[in-house]
Formats: sequence, structure tokens, C-alpha cells
Amino acid sequence: MDVNDLHGLKKRFLKAGADDVVLLLDTQNSSQVKFSNNKVSVITNWDEGMLSVFVSAKNRLMSTNIKDLSEKTADKEVKRVMGILQVLPENKGYAGIFHGPAKYKKVEETYDQKIAGIGDGSIDLVEGVINDALANGAKRTAGILEMSETSSLLVTSNDVEAEEKGTRAYLSMRALVDEYASGHQVSNSRTLAGLKLKECPKQAAETAVLAKNPEAGSSGKFDVVFGSLPFANLLAEVGMASSAFHVESGLSCLAGKLNKKVAGENVSLHDDATMPNGFFSCSFDGEGVPTQKNTIINEGVLMTYLHNTSTAQRHKTKTTANAGIIVPKPFNLVLENGNLNKDEMISTVKKGLLVTNTWYTRFNNYEKGDFSTIPRDAIFLIEDGKIKKPVKHIRISDNLVRLLKNIEEAGKDASQVMGWENELPVFTPPVLVRKVNITRSTE
Amino acid sequence: MNHDIAEFAVDYAKKRGAGYAEARLESSATSSFLLKNGVPEISEFESIHGMGMRIITKNALGFVSTNNFEKSRIKELIDRAARSAENAVKISEKVVLSDESVNESKYEVKQKKGFDDVSPKEKISILFEAENAVKETGISVPGRYISLSDTITEKFFVNTEGSRVYSRIPRPYMFYYLTIKNRGATSQRMWSYGATGGFEVVEKWDIPKLITEEVRGVWKNLTEGVSAPKEKLDVVVAPQVVGIMVHESIGHPCEADRIFGREAAQAGESFITKNMIGAKLGSSVITVVDDPTIEGSFGHYADDDEGVSARRKYLLKNGEINELLHNRETCTPLNLKSNGSSRASCYNRESIVRMSNTFLLPGSYKEEELISGVKKGVYIKNFMEWNIDDKRLNQKYVGAEAYMIEGGKTTVPVRSPSIEISTPALWKSVDAVADNTEYHAGTCGKAEPMQAMPVWFGGPSMRMKNVRVC
Repeated sequence: MDVNDLHGLKKRFLKAGADDVVLLLDTQNSSQVKFSNNKVSVITNWDEGMLSVFVSAKNRLMSTNIKDLSEKTADKEVKRVMGILQVLPENKGYAGIFHGPAKYKKVEETYDQKIAGIGDGSIDLVEGVINDALANGAKRTAGILEMSETSSLLVTSNDVEAEEKGTRAYLSMRALVDEYASGHQVSNSRTLAGLKLKECPKQAAETAVLAKNPEAGSSGKFDVVFGSLPFANLLAEVGMASSAFHVESGLSCLAGKLNKKVAGENVSLHDDATMPNGFFSCSFDGEGVPTQKNTIINEGVLMTYLHNTSTAQRHKTKTTANAGIIVPKPFNLVLENGNLNKDEMISTVKKGLLVTNTWYTRFNNYEKGDFSTIPRDAIFLIEDGKIKKPVKHIRISDNLVRLLKNIEEAGKDASQVMGWENELPVFTPPVLVRKVNITRSTE
Repeated sequence: MNHDIAEFAVDYAKKRGAGYAEARLESSATSSFLLKNGVPEISEFESIHGMGMRIITKNALGFVSTNNFEKSRIKELIDRAARSAENAVKISEKVVLSDESVNESKYEVKQKKGFDDVSPKEKISILFEAENAVKETGISVPGRYISLSDTITEKFFVNTEGSRVYSRIPRPYMFYYLTIKNRGATSQRMWSYGATGGFEVVEKWDIPKLITEEVRGVWKNLTEGVSAPKEKLDVVVAPQVVGIMVHESIGHPCEADRIFGREAAQAGESFITKNMIGAKLGSSVITVVDDPTIEGSFGHYADDDEGVSARRKYLLKNGEINELLHNRETCTPLNLKSNGSSRASCYNRESIVRMSNTFLLPGSYKEEELISGVKKGVYIKNFMEWNIDDKRLNQKYVGAEAYMIEGGKTTVPVRSPSIEISTPALWKSVDAVADNTEYHAGTCGKAEPMQAMPVWFGGPSMRMKNVRVC
């Protein structure tokens, strides 16, 4: 299947009465080494190709996928899709798709032949990260090393033809010392050189060692220094809340807050599809719009939602090049750095916590932002500017907007974070948030 | 579905020297519809065809998947998987699968009304009926997100031991997310329904009725609810809440792969250890099972994705830990047989230990009797926010529709009563179980990449004595 096949299919749809056609051919060649208990559990190889099809006719919308583009099958598929479209109701909020052609500026650091050709070299790398963690005090390790090479080819009925190849490397390393002493680090990079193969296992293991013999934590208000990993999990929620679709759906605590203060004055958050080495960086969005850097929050003020052509029209603005044709989505969230490193932030805390990971974030009300999440792995009590002792069994039960407003300081050492809990790439430094509400279970 | 390609793959792997090989051929067709605030956003019609292959070479495990069925490509992939496994032998877990009997079976869930017998227009019209029914309540519901989907999945499994298992399972699914508003205040509620069967199941759900009942319940709570008490009380939790409690704090910690640390960097581990069989976890009125054999259930299957026949498992019997969930890998170190708990969400995911339908077995009380025995307490009908730690020991449930219990009767609605409790404290607090079993649908998450798996969770109402509410 190649670009000519896609143009051929597009013409068939248009001839059959389609108004808009978007064809996206994705291919993926990936490998993953999963390890646990210091051993490789399984090695997975994926070899996949998928043609996703979006078609509209008279504001009736449908998506499907097509495997076979032989002449006979393609005609049958076009007939099937157009037949279904006829009976669907109109989406009066649909405003079409971007009109090309456009020039696309290649995003730097998004392809590395060393990842594409790594093969079983991953196995040696895994052996190395396990040994490094053990050498730094871990007793057990578990995680993932994943390497992938992908290509995306986009053809639309509005003169868009765009293609991008990419590579990605992902390391997740959890180091465990005993039942309640563990540390977790992840690293994401589009190049092999950018993957923190040494730093990740070392930091995870060192954190785990410090977390030995934790005591049950207390409830109350605490100043919390979030590491990059847990704060990325929270910022990902902010990123999803910034999608105009989620604003419309009642799933956003940013709804109704445009041009209003939603965070501390030292908070500026961007979505940047053009970020070099960004895990989801791409030069075009799902409609073929050339991507850009969007400032979601500037010095605490909400500047924009993320839009595609249709949501932009409904909100009387311009697309931000974040299609999803139905649901606009962030590519890479970027929190601007501040001035202090993590230790300097800790030194400003009288009574607080250092949280190194979170999981299981759930909302009681997305619109209000009421949620809770559970610190996972090492948690440390901070007293009078110093780490006092490890603690366990606590929960953050707070409000997302209040938490953003209580950000005191963003650190200066940002990491790119994406992992099991959070499937959106986020560049964030450690962050200090004042007066976070902590709860805990009864015995 | 061309079974020959799966047979070819297994034969080739065997000839190449694999100690064990299996191929899981899968074909699925899904149609889904979404109505957002009365607007039909998009209709999706997706079909997936592919094959996943598991190969054990020198006791090292490799998994490979493709949707390219050219034999030359499949050979290349098997070569790659076997080569990778061989290269990793020095640092690989020694994978030994349990001996299981050869299984040759065909299984199909019958549909009274096929999904294709109902036009897309008819399907989406049900969502419009729900939309109109919400409007007719006169209640302000500014957020109305309702989706309906149906999937038919065909699988053919073959392995080098001679097992050949075919299944065809249709699953309808419905999800809604509602925002109810009163002046400046909002409450939200989401829930889902899922089953195996035909479109007759969707018709039986009566989606407009389900959603309007939900809207009225949330509205009453929003407009009349009092603040939740902050003290130790008796709490009666209804089947939806019992279901999530069972799933999170008994089902997940009984997954043997978590216990052995295989999910440590993903969904986590477990407070249960392999030596805790027989340990007391809850009161004697608590018996929890996981049972994939329930016809019509969302988590239903006859044979798992390793070709092992499904059966009911008693995870907790009279309050004692009784049995773990196993696949063919996790049962071997314990000298057990698999109990048929291995599932994969798609052809391109390895099968791992999963729940199916996990629920508390009923007692002999009526729900009214549980409530009548409470002087002052809270009745929690359903919930919104919940979570649990990665060892499955500390959890939180926040009620959505809930009522005070005063003098043995439910009285005024109560807003967002919250329980934060440890797993042993939760299950030891239960003194009585009712007989009003309900099953509810969910998609359970585990593994990396994420595998979202259809499950039911449920049980009857139960009464918890003297637990802290806030």
C-alpha cells in the first residue's frame, strides 16, 4: 500500500459522493523486552500496518479501517461506507477539514537509525540496566525497554499529502529493595543517545534504598515536592482538560475559564508538537494542519483550548493544529522551567512530602476538578527543609485547579515523562505545590 | 477466518525447534456510536484481523504479532521471535508451562438478534431516545455523553500440543457520562453496561430508562443532599459498590502474576503472597468467586487464550484466601494446573492472568433487613471516584447516590460520602450479606501496552460495621 493507492481510494470516495476524506496509513515495527525479578519475562515483536479512513458526506461522519486496497475490495468498501453514511444522522457541529496544500517543517531529533536497527541489541541494554540497578542497591527490578520505528502517511481530499517517519525508545525501570521500598524512573527519547540508560536505573535504585522501612504517613495539609514522574501524571490531566471536545463534554475543569487565572503566576504550560525529541512530535495534525507550539497557560492565565477545525468554528476561533478530527489532543506538554533544583525546593519546605510517583488518578467531578491519586513507590516526609523519613499509605485528595494555583515553584531540571500511568508525553521539572490535602486509609 | 495460516505458523515454529508454540488468530468487527449533548459526533466501524504467536525456545518466551498473513512474512517473524528468545536465554526467566489436556472445541455465543440485523440508524436512534428522555425529566443536564457499541470477536487458537479452540463471542457495550446542574453546582456520574449476546440485550437494558433513573438519582442528591457525616458508622453498600470493592481488593490481589512480580512495573504487585492460601482476610460471610462460565456475562468465555477450559474459582471462601488466578506459567511453580484465567485483549497482546466475572456470593438477607439493623449509618447505592494502591491494600470509594440511614430506614440524600479503608479492615467489617445480586460491566486495565479487558463485577448488598466515613 503506497501513496498512489491512497490517492486512488480518495478519488473513489469522492466519486461516490463523499465531501471529505482523510486517509491515514500507519505502520509500526516495534520490539519490547519486559523484565521482572531481574530476568527477562518476554520479548515481544510487533509488525503492524493499518489504514484508518474518515469520510464525511452531507455532515454525516464515519470512520473505519480498510485492509485490502485491491480494485475489487476497494470498490466494495467504498460502497459499504457510503451506504452506511446515507442512514446516519447529521452532525451539525462538523465544520470540515483543513484545506491544503501545506509545507511541513521537519521536527528535529525524531528519527534515529540506531533505534530502527537495534534488533536484539535491546537484550544487552536490558541486562545493563538491571545490573546497574542492582549495583546501586536494588534487590529486584522490573520494567520495559521498548524500541519502535513508525511511519505515518496522511492523504486528504483537501490537497493534503504528508508523511513522517519516526523512532521512539522507552525505558521504564522500577527498583525494589523490600516490600515497601521502591523507586521508579522512566526515560523517553526519539534517539538512542537521549535515552537515560545509566541515570534511570541508578536513580530508581538509590530512591528505593532511601525508602527502606517507611512509617505510616499522616493526613492533613502538606507542601508537596512532586518529582517529574508524578507531576507529569497530573499535567497530563490538565492537557486532556484543555481539549475543546472535553470542555464541551463536561470533562474539563478548565471549562469557562478562558483568559482567567487557573494557576500560579509562575506557571506557563505549552503544547508543542514541534519540540525536538518530543515523543509525539509530528509536523502535521490529523487533518494535515502544520503543527505549532500552543501556549495553554501563560503566567497562570488560561490562553486557549486545543482545537481542530470543527471545535475551532464552534468556539469562534482558529484551529490550534491539534486534530483528532473529532477530539483535539495535545502532542507534548511542556511546563516551563523555574529557578530551583529539587533539593533547593525541599530546603524551602517546613512540613511537607516528596512524592516520587503516583498512580490511579480518578475524578469525582471532572468539571470541578475534584480528584484523588495515590503516591506510589518512595514517599518522604520533609521537615524543616530536610528529608526526615520515608512514609507510606497516603493519598492525595484535592482539586486540580486549586493544585495548579498553589504551585509555588517549578524546578529547573525538566525531564520528558510518559509511562504506564500516563500515555501523554510531558516535559516537566519537579514542582513544589503548597498546602496539598493528604488523606489516608483507616487501619 | 483462515485457520490454515495459524496451523502453518505453529508447524513452522515446531520445525524450527521451538519447545512450545501457539498461534491465536483473531478477527473482530466493531461498530460504535457516540451522542454528545444531542450531537451524533461520529460512527465508527472497525474490523481487525491479525495473529499473535507465542514461542518458547530453551525456556525463554517470545511473542510476536502481525496483521500481514503472507507466509514468508510469518516465517520471518517466527525466526525473529525465536532468535530473540535464544539470545536472551542467559537472562531470561525459565518459562515452564503446566501440563494441560489437549483441548479441541468450538464455542459460539448465540444471538437472538444479530448486530447486523439492526441498522446503524436504529442503533443511534436508541441514543436519541435516551437524549429525549433526559430532556423530558426537566432536569438540567448540560453534559450528556452516551455511547453504544457492539463487537463480534472470532478467535482460533492452535498450539504444538494439539489443542485447537475456536470461539465466536459477540459483546454489546454502553457507556454514559452525565453532568447534572443545579444553579452553580454540578454532580457527575458515569457508568457502563456490557454483556455477551445479541442486540436483544441492548433492547433489554432499556437505555432511556437507565439514564433517566440515573439523572433523577443524581439530581435528588445534588438538590437535597446533606453533607456527609465524619464519624465511624455502619454502612450498607449496594451491588455496584460491592462489585468494585470485590474487583479491586480481592480479584486483583489474587492474580498470580502480580504475586510473582511480573506486573511490578505496571499494574503493581499484591499484598497476598503465595503462602497465604488459607489465611483469614475477611469475615466468614464473605465468599468471592471469579467465574467466566456465566452465559450472557461481559467476561464470559468457554476456553481461555491458552486453550484451557474455563471454570469457577473460589478466590475467598468464608473469609479465607482459597485460590489464586492462574495461567499456565504462574501455576507451575506451585505444582498446580492452570485454572483458565489467561486472556489477551487483542491478537497483538500476549495473554496474561486476568479476571472475568468477579463477585461476592449472596447471603440470605434482604437489603431492607441490612438497613433495618442500622440505627445511624449511610446507604451508598453507587459511586463515582475510587482508587486503590498498587498492592491492593488501601482504597477509597466516594458515593454518588447515597442516603443517610436513621432508625433503620433510609432518609435524606447524602453528598459524596467517602470511605478510605484497608482491605482487611473492609472485609472483616462485613457482618451481613443480602441476596440481591447484580452484575455490572467494566473494562479492567493491566499490562503494558495497556490491555483493557471486558469484565463483570458484582454481588449483593452488604453491611459494613463501624467504618469511618468522611
